[in-house]
Amino acid sequence: MDVKFLNPFLDSAAEVLKKEIQLEITRGPINVQTSALTTDDVTVLINLVGQIQGVVLYELSEATALGFVSRMMGQKFNEFDNLAQSGIAELGNVISGKATVALSKSGLDSTISPPTMIIGKGTKISTINFPRIVVTIQTDLGNVTVHLAIKESPPDGKNINFVPLIQEAVSTKQ
Amino acid sequence: MNVKFLNPFLDAIHEVLKTETGIDTSKGDLKLEKGPYTTDDITVIIALVGGVEGMVFYSLTKETSICLVSKMMGEEITEFNSLAQSGIAELGNVITGRASVKLSQAGYESTISPPTLVIGKGSQVSTLDCPRLIIPLSSNVGTITVHLALRDGINQGQKTAQIPVPAKPVI
Repeated sequence: MDVKFLNPFLDSAAEVLKKEIQLEITRGPINVQTSALTTDDVTVLINLVGQIQGVVLYELSEATALGFVSRMMGQKFNEFDNLAQSGIAELGNVISGKATVALSKSGLDSTISPPTMIIGKGTKISTINFPRIVVTIQTDLGNVTVHLAIKESPPDGKNINFVPLIQEAVSTKQ
Repeated sequence: MNVKFLNPFLDAIHEVLKTETGIDTSKGDLKLEKGPYTTDDITVIIALVGGVEGMVFYSLTKETSICLVSKMMGEEITEFNSLAQSGIAELGNVITGRASVKLSQAGYESTISPPTLVIGKGSQVSTLDCPRLIIPLSSNVGTITVHLALRDGINQGQKTAQIPVPAKPVI
């Protein structure tokens, strides 16, 4: 995992949150985690595929999520309903999309997947052998934790097996 | 969700499980769901991007995963440790990879993402506006449920908005 992927995401988050929600962000401490993460109320999961590959997770509490969509749509949300869910997912989509544009300007093209949303506290999400860079973005409406588990793809661009252990296990057995 | 994406996955699952674990699967009744999915013990999430885009989930119980990994590795695994986790993720990866090869033979080029593992029962996973085709596959080690939330890719590289976000929020 390379730290150079971090800034495009943070810049993009700052820009999008400012434009859509009029929020100023401050960057909290950065750390690297390899163990599984335990989710907060709402997690948006977006995959990147291309010259860089991996997964980006945006984690926030339900209160923060409701605060964000209420401001974004200009109406009060009390419940994390379908519209609120798609609003938060869209926010993740826009932030990731903008970040990939910035990354492609630095020569690394990638495409993002549609967002998936995981709702429910205390679930574990594992990115297997990808270490994650974890940054907390602090805002007036609460914190958003961004997890980046991204690496550069091998130059041939071929699909590789990310966990090569099975073949080894099989071949040593035979 | 387009049903034409279904058969490549069914074939891939059947082939991979047969070669890697020696297990036969039989397909149950298909369902199409729009609401969020409530997770079982283990869910492997893999995204497809390109001519076909969307998400694939493989959902199974801890017992089933342990059985599958044990058979795959040829050694008894008793707990769902990190080796078992990477084994199950790899199984999802191989199945999806093979399905994407079959899809590309049918004219849909796509690339798959690395697998992500969700561990924990009872969380909700939503694919938002993309309905999921659900395929239960029963075997003698338990049921594996496959969720396909796939659609024709809009132009490659172009981002698809889920809902239009107002340029200027009305406050």
